[in-house]
Amino acid sequence: MKNLHFSEYFKDFLYDLNDFITIYENNLHVFNYTKLNKLSADEIVITINNKKILIKGNNLKIKQMTKQELLINGLILKVEFIYDE
Amino acid sequence: MNNIIWVKIDNGNYYYLLTKLNDIGITLYDNKKFKDYLLIKVSLKDYERIQKYLVSYNTSIYDLTGFNKIKIYMKKYIIFLLASIISIFILFLANNIIFKIDIKTNNYDIQNLVLEALKNNGIKTLSLKMPHNKIEKIVANILDKNKDTLEWLEIEYDGLIMNVYVTEKNIPKEEDNYNYCHIVAKTDAKISNMNIYRGVALKEINDYVNKGDIILSGDISFNNEVKNQVCAQGEIYGEVWYKVKVTVPFNEYYIEYTGKKRYNFNVKINDDKYYILRSRIKNKKLEETNLYKLNDFEINFVKEKEYVNKIRKLTEEQAYDKAFNLAIEKIKLQLDENEDILVKKVLKKEVNDSTIYLEVFIVAKENIGEIKVIEEELNNDANNSQNSI
Repeated sequence: MKNLHFSEYFKDFLYDLNDFITIYENNLHVFNYTKLNKLSADEIVITINNKKILIKGNNLKIKQMTKQELLINGLILKVEFIYDE
Repeated sequence: MNNIIWVKIDNGNYYYLLTKLNDIGITLYDNKKFKDYLLIKVSLKDYERIQKYLVSYNTSIYDLTGFNKIKIYMKKYIIFLLASIISIFILFLANNIIFKIDIKTNNYDIQNLVLEALKNNGIKTLSLKMPHNKIEKIVANILDKNKDTLEWLEIEYDGLIMNVYVTEKNIPKEEDNYNYCHIVAKTDAKISNMNIYRGVALKEINDYVNKGDIILSGDISFNNEVKNQVCAQGEIYGEVWYKVKVTVPFNEYYIEYTGKKRYNFNVKINDDKYYILRSRIKNKKLEETNLYKLNDFEINFVKEKEYVNKIRKLTEEQAYDKAFNLAIEKIKLQLDENEDILVKKVLKKEVNDSTIYLEVFIVAKENIGEIKVIEEELNNDANNSQNSI
């Protein structure tokens, strides 16, 4: 029997984006990341669609983690792209 | 269903460990950081991967969630669970099974008839109780099938006992079927009232009769010739005289409650009683309250009330009243509701040192008629009639 993957279709329909970052209160939600490059209490570096993103903050923690999504909790101070020279 | 568990990992760097988990593709549902260890919420499958790839870490299952947790609890409390289920089952059986069918009638034939009829309708001892509407149908069915024998039938449950109240059809009394009888006086009396339904009165109101005198005759005569013989029927009331002798002592014994109470329980098996606590009261009156009953097995709550025996001295007047009332009570005991005491008079009174003696004359209105069945004369008549043919 063919697997229809309804939940995935539904998610794609709702999000309508390949990847994105959402910030609310003390949480930062990353959808469709490629790699977790660095993880510390002050800094987290992730790769999304071949672009590196730096998240700076205080007391940062990973609340939830799957192969596609990350939920980071802590005091978020800055989110910026890192361009390799 | 995902088997989600909490895994405890000892002495690890939080950020390094989480990077490692990310590298090996673990899905992390939640995590809690403590001073000496880290708790992570992962699937059982991922836990196996953690054990395989993070060999340098000391890992163990900390807690289970969902159905796995219920399964563990069930294994832990299996005896309690089984005991609860069995208790509920027994309670269900005890509430819904008929242990005894009590048919409220003294007629043995009716008892057997009703028992058989109930059995045919699926009601017997150790069978399940039936709902009210089904019982009503069964009652109607039994009454319909036994309309010549049963007048009324009602079934009600009293705990484990099924009470069956039966009223049998009113069959005319046997004496009504006698062919030939007289009504005679059963004691010496003066006739005060007569209700004649059948037969010829040989005595009148205010006539004195001796025991055995015929009052109502079954012979129907015309011109001094017996034309027909019937069974006389009627109510004859007369004044009957009694002389009652009573002696009452001046010392009267009575009991007085001290107010001291003790509580106890007893178990009754058949007719044997076993008390749970030892009683310390010597003279006591027991009041039992039933707590549980199953056939011949009972558990009762017992209230023990202490009393002491006492004596009091009656005055002559009190002793006289007591003796007089006793004499009247003695006669009243043998009277029916239609009968009454007409006259009461003290004939003799003697007072001794310790007793009082009374002779009381009492006139009571009583039913003095009794049926006397005549069989010989009927046989003679039958012989005569045969001879004449």
